[in-house]
Amino acid sequence: MRMSLAQRVLLTWLFTLLFLIMLVLKLDEKAPWNWFLIFIPVWIFDTILLVMLIVKMAGRCKSGFDPRNGSQHMKKNVWYLIAMLLKLAFCLALCAKLQGFTSMKLVYVFIPFWVLLIGGLVELGYNIFCVQRD
Amino acid sequence: MLFSLRELGQWLRLAPCELGLQGLALLLCSALLVLKVDGAAAALSCWAVLGPCFAADGLSTYFSTIVSVRLCRDGEKRLAVLRLLWVLTVLGLKFVFELLLCQKLAERTHELWYGLVMAPIFILLQLLLLRACRVN
Repeated sequence: MRMSLAQRVLLTWLFTLLFLIMLVLKLDEKAPWNWFLIFIPVWIFDTILLVMLIVKMAGRCKSGFDPRNGSQHMKKNVWYLIAMLLKLAFCLALCAKLQGFTSMKLVYVFIPFWVLLIGGLVELGYNIFCVQRD
Repeated sequence: MLFSLRELGQWLRLAPCELGLQGLALLLCSALLVLKVDGAAAALSCWAVLGPCFAADGLSTYFSTIVSVRLCRDGEKRLAVLRLLWVLTVLGLKFVFELLLCQKLAERTHELWYGLVMAPIFILLQLLLLRACRVN
């Protein structure tokens, strides 16, 4: 079962809006909540994406699935899984830093974010230069 | 992951190289922010930290103008105007957000609250939802 573009946009839009509202409330000191609570829409959205990704990967491992281009799809899905975990690691480290649970330098918090962003840019470049040429 | 590059391009009406440019600007901004906060370059101002974002906005506007002029020359005037209007609206709202954020962080004024700073982003979100309805 694949969600339509409208459903995916609505899902992204809703969680982004909720997160931004909670972030504004926190930054304007209207809501004295923990930073981990402010990030609840992000946790829920990431969980949904992770479940969708795992179900997709499990579907490809089932017997009877057409194996053509299988390894290529699997590589892509593994990269998506790593990207999700990097995003989760960044958000968790950022929350811990903002909440004062750790005194580590900001550079260590941002390492997963940079790896994710560089990976995304490399994938974008690959899509522009290699896939379009094919 | 959730959207393919083609869907993102259709939805945001941005070329892949513009997306790459914005991603690169985000990477540079985050690096400058880390340098400022960790004390390696504490003298950097907020305007300098967000400098790559301003540069990316300028380059994207330049790129979109060229694409629209070429579309016009090819006879696709309606498409050219619509594309330019959309890109200028998106980049304009992003630019206003960055400007307000810089002002808020640089001056630490209480008159400018974060709800107001984020207002362009909220407007942009509504526009993106409307655009998604059209694309779908």
